Amino acid sequence: MGKKNKILNVENIQTYYGVSHVIQGLSMFVEEKEAVSILGRNGVGKTTTLRSIIGLTPPRSGSIFINGKETTRWQPHKISRLGVAYVPAERHIFPGLTVEENLRMAARPGNGKDAWTIEKICDHFPILAERTAQNGATLSGGEQQMLAIGRALISNPKIIIMDEPSQGLSPLLVQMITDVVLKFCVQSGITLLIVEQNYRMALKVADRHYLMDNRGEIVSIASTRELEDNPEIIQSHLAV
Amino acid sequence: MSGTFSIAIDLLLNSLVLSGVFLIVAMGLNIIYGLSRIMNMSHGALYAVGAYIGYSLVATGVNYFAALIITPILVGIIGLLIERTIILPMRKRSMVYTLILTYGLMFFLDGMIKHIWGNRPRFIELPEFMQGMISILGTQYPVYRLMTLFMIAAIMIALMLLLSKTKAGIIMRAASTIPEMVSCMGINMSYVHMGAFMLGCAMAGAAGIIAGPLTTIDPLMGGEMLISSFVVVVIGGLGSLRGAVIAAILIGFVQTFTEFFITDLAMVIVFIMMAVILAFMPRGLLGEGKFE
Repeated sequence: MGKKNKILNVENIQTYYGVSHVIQGLSMFVEEKEAVSILGRNGVGKTTTLRSIIGLTPPRSGSIFINGKETTRWQPHKISRLGVAYVPAERHIFPGLTVEENLRMAARPGNGKDAWTIEKICDHFPILAERTAQNGATLSGGEQQMLAIGRALISNPKIIIMDEPSQGLSPLLVQMITDVVLKFCVQSGITLLIVEQNYRMALKVADRHYLMDNRGEIVSIASTRELEDNPEIIQSHLAV
Repeated sequence: MSGTFSIAIDLLLNSLVLSGVFLIVAMGLNIIYGLSRIMNMSHGALYAVGAYIGYSLVATGVNYFAALIITPILVGIIGLLIERTIILPMRKRSMVYTLILTYGLMFFLDGMIKHIWGNRPRFIELPEFMQGMISILGTQYPVYRLMTLFMIAAIMIALMLLLSKTKAGIIMRAASTIPEMVSCMGINMSYVHMGAFMLGCAMAGAAGIIAGPLTTIDPLMGGEMLISSFVVVVIGGLGSLRGAVIAAILIGFVQTFTEFFITDLAMVIVFIMMAVILAFMPRGLLGEGKFE
């Protein structure tokens, strides 16, 4: 495996939140068109890892490479322009903006006829199509998550970074979101890095999994197959 | 027509004119605060700069309406220079730094005004047709005052269209709520801050040239406007555009009417009103707000 096809490569990063040393020497990578998850309990540094990658909480040391470019201390807008879309756990739908305006904010032209446009989003997300003129803040949790994913897709990204899409959603909605992520992100060739506490969802969408423990320590790297065959790995790391 | 009726019409229209000027200045303050969390203490001085630039343009023979367009652009450019040179380096620091910085800038701008234009009051020479009076329901009212209402309405409509219809406006509204997410969409927040500061300054400049012919232009006008527009912003709710509309109308009317009936106490009553409103609604009428 050459370094070439690693669309995302994190090398020994140290990230702080103020004085608290949240990530202590994390290394990981994601290959092009791969779907990778980070699994771990609350507070082990999963979100901070994502924030380090997208430039919101840059690491103090170590390096991050995206598509071969070192982006370690780049500002988020520059990283985003490399084709990195972020779906935060809070969804961060802009209140006061309509569903359509939320999409327009993120829209970026893509290549070819398969590129995502507002029309294409409306075709594939009927829930959003009915609500284009509605204030984003008035959407339900599931609708907001759909919009957050739609907003990532419409930027026609190379890689989507997704933080706990299942958070706060009912099992039925988690199933819907899982299907959407599988169909539009994984199967359509967009690289995916997803953070989850809901390992069932993570096993459905990702092929390779980093099991994270306190302070960003990677205790195990496993394929979906290995985790399904050895449920005790998950039990020992994720047991609540 | 009875004299009382005439006076009532006069007071009503004067209140609206004053409200409108407050509104434009306060909107500029709110746009800057809402997007960048900067309390621009030099906003009144920029309003005065607008009035003086308008005066100089008209005095050198520029058409009044052309001056009305050029002045906000020039003040916007001054805003751009201020933002890129001294505010940008302070961006990451707490609000107190930019507060003190813009407070110092106010003295700098006041000094520049005195240096360039002196202490002598100035008057903007209006075109002939704007100097007369017009009969409104039997009341003689200055044509120019009436025209300012249309100018203010035009500015507000333009601002609303900018915020609701253009990509820049949508970005500004989004950035007033979750700036972090805006930058994750490939938008350089530094330029959003810059644009907001320019827009806010241009609005102060526009208010300056519109209000110029209504009063004498002197070095004190900026300080007075700073205080009034702060009252409007605080009563309406910091950063709330709708709150500013309500508060500007409220203050415009209260100030005009109290000035007529109890001249000496006009500002006192305005401040008492602010204190009472804040006692019951500490975040202003509409709270710390978003761009809606």
